[in-house]
Amino acid sequence: MRDLIDIWVGVQAWLFESLVSPVLFRFGLMEWYEPAFNAVEIVMLGIVQILVIALGMRFFEKRWPLEKTDNDDLVAVDRVYTVLNKLGIIPLAVFMVSYPITNEIDYLVRSWGFVPPRLEQLLPWLHDSALGSFLVYFALYDFAAYWLHRAQHKFSWWWALHSLHHSQRQVTAWSDDRNHIVDNLLITLALVVFAQFVGVQPDDYILILMIGRLIESWSHANVDMSFGRVGERLIVGPRFHRLHHALASPDERHIQDHNFAPVFPIWDMLFGTAIYDGKRRPTGVDNPLMDADNGRGWLVQQVTVFGRFVRALVPRFSRAPIQPGLRPPAE
Amino acid sequence: MNRLVIAATALALAASGAARADSVLVLNSEDASYSILSRSGRIELVRLPIGREPHHLMPTPDGKEVLVGSTATNELLVLDAKTGEKRRVVRDIIDPYQLGFSPDGNWFVTVAYRLDHVDIYHADGFKLAGRIFIDGLPSHMTFDTDSKTVFVTLQQTGRVVAFDLETQAIKWNVEVGKAPAGALMLPDNKRLLVALTGEDGLVSVDPKDGSVVGHLQTGKGAHNFWPKGDGRHWFLSNRVEGTVSLVDTQDMKVTATIKVPGGPDCMDITPDGKELWVTQRFLRRIAVVDLEQMRVVATVPVGKSPHGVFMLKSGAAPPGLVPVRAASTAGEQK
Repeated sequence: MRDLIDIWVGVQAWLFESLVSPVLFRFGLMEWYEPAFNAVEIVMLGIVQILVIALGMRFFEKRWPLEKTDNDDLVAVDRVYTVLNKLGIIPLAVFMVSYPITNEIDYLVRSWGFVPPRLEQLLPWLHDSALGSFLVYFALYDFAAYWLHRAQHKFSWWWALHSLHHSQRQVTAWSDDRNHIVDNLLITLALVVFAQFVGVQPDDYILILMIGRLIESWSHANVDMSFGRVGERLIVGPRFHRLHHALASPDERHIQDHNFAPVFPIWDMLFGTAIYDGKRRPTGVDNPLMDADNGRGWLVQQVTVFGRFVRALVPRFSRAPIQPGLRPPAE
Repeated sequence: MNRLVIAATALALAASGAARADSVLVLNSEDASYSILSRSGRIELVRLPIGREPHHLMPTPDGKEVLVGSTATNELLVLDAKTGEKRRVVRDIIDPYQLGFSPDGNWFVTVAYRLDHVDIYHADGFKLAGRIFIDGLPSHMTFDTDSKTVFVTLQQTGRVVAFDLETQAIKWNVEVGKAPAGALMLPDNKRLLVALTGEDGLVSVDPKDGSVVGHLQTGKGAHNFWPKGDGRHWFLSNRVEGTVSLVDTQDMKVTATIKVPGGPDCMDITPDGKELWVTQRFLRRIAVVDLEQMRVVATVPVGKSPHGVFMLKSGAAPPGLVPVRAASTAGEQK
């Protein structure tokens, strides 16, 4: 194990010292020295994730598909999203916008004399259990992500962005990262502020993101596999999450307002949004304007969905009802 | 087979007590843990949980305890200076990134790197005397020898600020160079040395008014000082260059340069003065520098982003220790 760690940190240190550190030094950005070193690790982990999806998850999708797929072109754009995200290109852009905002919030809170509480003060045993501490923070983080996901479906302007994620007719392991960049920004802002307030440790934060995103990629996989009756209630799997991407029908107008949880289905079970019925349903959205995302490239999707977002946010810009179909979601 | 021999040797050392008489404490800043290493065995004996993001440590003036700043949990963890055992927790010390006692032991100062403030406490009971908010990532500090002033470097704005300990007022606030980090007041109380992490050396500053009176090239990313113990020479880690310089502060020249890869940072010297132990932040190891040969002779694997390092003041290590990591030789060094 130590040999693996040495190889990993050796590569990370080499990449950092050869490519990143000289740039930071040259441009007087040394206050970013440590964060940039961690960013190199995030990119390396992203490459591992891409390999896991391309070699591992895709193997299962081909061997045991849950839904017959016939148009690989629809999936191609999702690969672009995944690569841009996992290699840190979109996260870096999002970070550059979100950092000054979250920093400003931090200053504001401090100027009020408020010091965010730390969980260790409430639960002193967390000091002595690295695993326990990680799991508690992971669960809290997932809890916040669950409610943010519900908000993405609840507000029409946010749904206008998030519908890009749902418009894919052929949901695969590549689909998890198919999100509008503004949607990424909003979620990042909310989760970073949340993490600051509950005090998620940076290393835990990276691990939570990595493990969480891997589980989420798997939950989008077109695979007819299950963690079993108990396992499906502990960790979100492909069958559970596929229902969340199901195409609405007259009988199930709000089917997508279920199974929101990113990692732990307990939130859906606790708040009454879980469905475990084992039925197979096609995926996608019933709105032709949103369904038109299929077949578009990354840039065109980003531009058209941004227009959709603006029209939803400022109704006077809207030329047509934003949701002529069965949406908006449940009251 | 080789590993079996190392493990057996380590076990024997731990069991015999040989390794327990000379332990080293290392803070794994991104693992929320600290390691206790055997100095002679060059192995990690145990890794123990601690508050999140422990970066720096400081022995108490009486030398009996070591304070560890847990920045993310706003606490000081108090450890036994002989064994490294946890004794108690001092709460509500906000973001204690760097910490220090004035030479007379009356003042305790912390700098909050993430939250941009400097806190000055009465050391007796850690009663807050004043909190001064100051932009620019306050990072390191040093005191004048008569315990009237604390000097704090601001890594982001390139400045050094002098605070009056009694009144907590700012005496001066001066720009000295790019990304100032480690600060050192020399024993004559007349020169303040400041390592410039954004440049390739240190500057000498007049502690009266902050004016820069000299410069010495050491290596890119000059960062942190540690005394050799003779009152004249100090080690200085150069993080970007991956070296440690031995600086003669009297003649203001570099007398030796030691290659220590992996972002070398904090240091401590063995009581016999023969070895310098240096944290290699990026490699998750501690480098052992032989000061006769002036080269790294071994590295010891520890946790993620090892930062503060401290030679425990002999005595027994916590009971029930078994070695969990063995050292590599210099030849195996990553």
